[in-house]
Amino acid sequence: MLLSLVQSLCSSSLSSSSPTFKSKSALPSSKHSETPPSPSSSHKEPKTAVSPFQPRPHPEAITLPFSRLTGSGSIETREVHSAVAFVSARCEWLLDGKQNKGLKLKRKKTESGLVPTHLALGSCHRGGATSGFTVSEFTPAGKLLVPSGSSSKGLHLHCCCCMEPFTILHKASSRKTDKISTGTGKSRTTRRIDLTASLPASTDISDVNAAESNERHYSNMRMEAFEAVWSITESSIKDVLREANATIFSEIHEWVRDSFDTIVSFGVPNFHEATQPFPVVKDATSKKIFTGLVLTRNLEFVDDLMTFEDLKQHLKSQGCHVANLSSVDFSSRNGVGTCLRSLLGQFLTGSLDTADISMLATWYKEQQNNDNPVVIIIDDMERCCASILSEFIHMLSEWVLKVPVILIMGVATTVDAPRNVLPSNALHRLHARKFTFQSLPEKMNYVVETAFLKQSSEFTISHKTAVFMRNYFAHHNGSVTSFIRALKIACAQHFSTQPLCFILHWCLRDEDNEVPQSHTYGLSQERMLKLACDLPSWKSTSNQITQLSGETLLDGLTQLKKLHKTWRMVVLCLYEAIKGENVQLLDLMCEALDPKGPFGSQFDNGSRVLPRDNSMSQKSHSLEKNKSLINRAIRRVKELPANQLLVLMKAWEKHTVDVPELHSEVKALVLSVLKLEEDGESLNQNKVEMTNTRRQALRGNLNAADKNSRVAYEKASNLVDSMVRKYVCPVECVALHEVLCFDSVDKLQAALIGDTRRRIQIDLQEFHAIIRCSCCSKRGSTILPSMPDSSIMYTLAQEHGDVVNVHDWYQSFKSVVLSTHMVSKRGKSRSKQHPPTPKKRKTTNELSEPSEASIQARFCKAIVELQVTGLVRMPNRRRPDYLQRLAFGS
Amino acid sequence: MEMNDGEEEEEFEFSRNYFLAKELGGSSKKSGRKISDIDPVDEQELRTAANNLEPKHEREVASLMESYKASYPEWVFMLRTGFGLLMYGFGSKKALIEDFASTSLTEYSVVVINGYVQSINLKQVMVAIAEVWWDQLKAKRRNSPSQAQQPFNSRSIDDLLAFMDGQEADDDKSFVCIIVNNIDGPGLREPESQHLLARIASCTHIRIIASIDHVNAPLLWDKKMVHTQFNWYWYHVPTFAPYMFEGVFFPLILAHSSTAQSAKTAAIVLQSLTPNAQSVFRVLAEYQLSHPDVEGMPIESLYAASRERFLVSSQVTLNSHLTEFKDHELVKTRRNADGQDCVYIPLANDGLQKLLPEINP
Repeated sequence: MLLSLVQSLCSSSLSSSSPTFKSKSALPSSKHSETPPSPSSSHKEPKTAVSPFQPRPHPEAITLPFSRLTGSGSIETREVHSAVAFVSARCEWLLDGKQNKGLKLKRKKTESGLVPTHLALGSCHRGGATSGFTVSEFTPAGKLLVPSGSSSKGLHLHCCCCMEPFTILHKASSRKTDKISTGTGKSRTTRRIDLTASLPASTDISDVNAAESNERHYSNMRMEAFEAVWSITESSIKDVLREANATIFSEIHEWVRDSFDTIVSFGVPNFHEATQPFPVVKDATSKKIFTGLVLTRNLEFVDDLMTFEDLKQHLKSQGCHVANLSSVDFSSRNGVGTCLRSLLGQFLTGSLDTADISMLATWYKEQQNNDNPVVIIIDDMERCCASILSEFIHMLSEWVLKVPVILIMGVATTVDAPRNVLPSNALHRLHARKFTFQSLPEKMNYVVETAFLKQSSEFTISHKTAVFMRNYFAHHNGSVTSFIRALKIACAQHFSTQPLCFILHWCLRDEDNEVPQSHTYGLSQERMLKLACDLPSWKSTSNQITQLSGETLLDGLTQLKKLHKTWRMVVLCLYEAIKGENVQLLDLMCEALDPKGPFGSQFDNGSRVLPRDNSMSQKSHSLEKNKSLINRAIRRVKELPANQLLVLMKAWEKHTVDVPELHSEVKALVLSVLKLEEDGESLNQNKVEMTNTRRQALRGNLNAADKNSRVAYEKASNLVDSMVRKYVCPVECVALHEVLCFDSVDKLQAALIGDTRRRIQIDLQEFHAIIRCSCCSKRGSTILPSMPDSSIMYTLAQEHGDVVNVHDWYQSFKSVVLSTHMVSKRGKSRSKQHPPTPKKRKTTNELSEPSEASIQARFCKAIVELQVTGLVRMPNRRRPDYLQRLAFGS
Repeated sequence: MEMNDGEEEEEFEFSRNYFLAKELGGSSKKSGRKISDIDPVDEQELRTAANNLEPKHEREVASLMESYKASYPEWVFMLRTGFGLLMYGFGSKKALIEDFASTSLTEYSVVVINGYVQSINLKQVMVAIAEVWWDQLKAKRRNSPSQAQQPFNSRSIDDLLAFMDGQEADDDKSFVCIIVNNIDGPGLREPESQHLLARIASCTHIRIIASIDHVNAPLLWDKKMVHTQFNWYWYHVPTFAPYMFEGVFFPLILAHSSTAQSAKTAAIVLQSLTPNAQSVFRVLAEYQLSHPDVEGMPIESLYAASRERFLVSSQVTLNSHLTEFKDHELVKTRRNADGQDCVYIPLANDGLQKLLPEINP
């Protein structure tokens, strides 16, 4: 009998995850769903509303009368050979709302003493014997309910919502998000008071409400400002990347059209042929699939996703039918059916019961414009399962006459990759052509140029941040996508932390003659001026005596904008000069941003325009001079041949168009270089026609040309020197730069790279610094019993090798725990002088020696916690008495 | 390039610790003490004690939790900018995240997924999310006539994703927030689950808040998932709160490894079998006790011995008994040196001795 019981338990456990589990419930949940929470009564709604869509308790779950659950009365229930039972209903709701006078118990059973699994109570328990357990207390939802005493078979009660696979915590309140409303629910008010404990006690509730809704409104405004600024950056980056690929895209499209024409030239099946559910039989040459191998030249396929998406859009706009497949579709686990289904899903509408290539052929024939090819893009060919991919290729090649398919496959390594991945019979079906995407550094230069130097949003980053982002890109990640993401995080952090961030939005709107409207963002003008005054960059200027007024702020901001603009322009010009030398723009930018570098330090912090005499600083930095990219750019300008100088100057002319004073200088230089060029050309012509008699005259000409060129070069070198000296003013040297410039590099790093392995171990080692507990902070290297058990265990494990003997570990743990009593006995006399600390309270509590059972329980719990964090692994069969350590110090 | 020296040093320290630990494990004489030497208390008592443990530093932990409340506005801001929040650090973060959701995310619907639960049907979760999102949409345009809606239960996963990703909302800013407690938990550790979660998270009208506890959790995701789908924004929020729910499905090491425990469970199963089957088991157990060094009892010998005592009449009957034993992992088979198939009971001798008196003679 018992065997059948166990079996039925097992079977019910299986069914619990299947949809049949979701059967009719005794809970009146439909009642809840019928009455959506009205705004006025929303606070009364329990936090854990029952969803009509979540798995219901098993129909066989025992319903207990409500009355029996009150107080600490014993509950009669049927006996079960289980160790764990869960209350499978929301206690809070049931008890508060009294909707249903019952509570369901769902049984869980430990399966032959191993991991407890979900086992719903099956019908086999009917008619079993009874045994009692008591429920000592009810706590609100989410808390553990502890059965009192050693009740029978160790029944544990948990509030069910924590043990359900999922719950709906709450539904959206119908309050409008961006309206400044007053008089919201009472519950929110009380919570709000909790949050702002510093508010004076006399504050009226309505005031709090108003403050709260104002705050929400302002945060919405900040959000809008962020969106405005970020969307500019994001869209311009996207555009520039798309433009950068425009040539290769059109090349691919041309090839696609040519290939399609070739396929069509093999013959188009008539309607009857095309709708037959088998392929057309032709010679082998017509079975070749035209395949474009796109070399992505990229470490990270994540960057290519965007490019392939752009390619897809491009081809679509040209009329092709395009589908995207990724390596996930080509997994060996699911077979070729998955990728076929995914392919069909992108073309055919409606639900697909079966996936068959003939459906694609029929669909293609039915299309109005079946004079366009079907292009399938596989973005990461090397990660696909080879056998599935080759099967797919075989299938397509059989059908290629009916469905003119053209493949485009992304290859990250070399063009040999398909040969390594695919078997030869699949390779024979391919007719490949190679294309190459842009390389990563090129892409990166485009992104940096757009994001920092060309964009019209003024947001920028400090030198430290730039260096961090460069290192993150170069050493850590190597993907443009994550670089852009890092920039977005920086921007978002700037907007969430800098109270004056809205000025960026003001810059965007180009209202140069108006003081920023701070009150829209929840700041009075005085407050804004005060905040601006408190900015370190403003304080350190000589302006600190003059009180900031609206006008001075406006001046300062205009000046800041102007300097930032010229800085961007000059960096762009310098980059133009050394573009061909395989230089990363980000490196150049980092150098130009450095306020302590040779070019930055010439600007006194906050002096805004007046450069100091730079002979000193130049001397002190002479060593770095050789490495400096800016110096390299200067040198290069001086050494360029005339024709290249002209090209460069023309580029500069374009860049400097917004800065009139520089623009005119550049223009003059262009003219003189142009003249030089003409001279050079005439000289060359003369050289060809040179005769002995004219040599004399030529020498005179040469001298004149030489003189001209010297003048032009001198001009160029003067120009570039003055540009660097005057305008390469790092943004951090300008007053008020904090409003535009993001500087919290640590915060950015923390948000971007979570180092779980290290951090969790540090948490355990240095928990006292985190929870600020007075008793453990002075411990030094000794292990105190007041430390959290997991910390004690973790520290003890450090003394072991990669495996820890459970017995030894337990003994050392026990000795640490028991040392409390020695400490407290010894400390008793001392503690009279010391004020009582939390630890003291603990020790007095624990003066009665903990029982063996409680020490063992603490030991077990600590091991469970270490297991949850993945620091140790349970013993395996080979070493039943040892735990395996998985992390070795931070 | 400026290399971060501190970082490099840390890396070095890390690898050094690893090799030190490995060396220590290999060279030092291993202690041969067994778990049973601890003399574990009765499982019942242990569980009771485990449930009645007094938490340490309760006040400090509470004030730590309280201190995170100052960050709530920032968290909301980051969610709204489109990032997914990933909470890590030692301690259960369930209470913290749910408190955050119920105080600061009242404008949005919130669905909680408990990754520490063993089996989660993500399709059902998606249906629930879609329903919630549909309700939210309906509430927004209460005045306009609601369209006929196909029940979400019968829709495919792709349809559901398309619905949550769709542009049907009037304003793009509203979303449904999904909280995944322990996204690295046993119920979600399969790559398929993670891929599906990533696809859900990348929908326009979904934001995700997740917590991880395992040190290797980031290995669950590739770059595509991290950077383009989940779009994680990391927060280090150690809480030092006990892993009350997260640890429920982990066995207590001293409760299950004891021989008494396995002997007891074996006895429970045996008691439900027929007397003959029990006696066959007894024959095997006695043989194993008297021959502690052999691989097990050859099946032929077991058949002969059982037949002698009139416990089985044919090989078929014996096999049916053995199948039943194997199903419950009461016996296992392996080959001995002569290549014969042997059966043995996977229990230590002292466990067997405790077990024998409980079987019918």
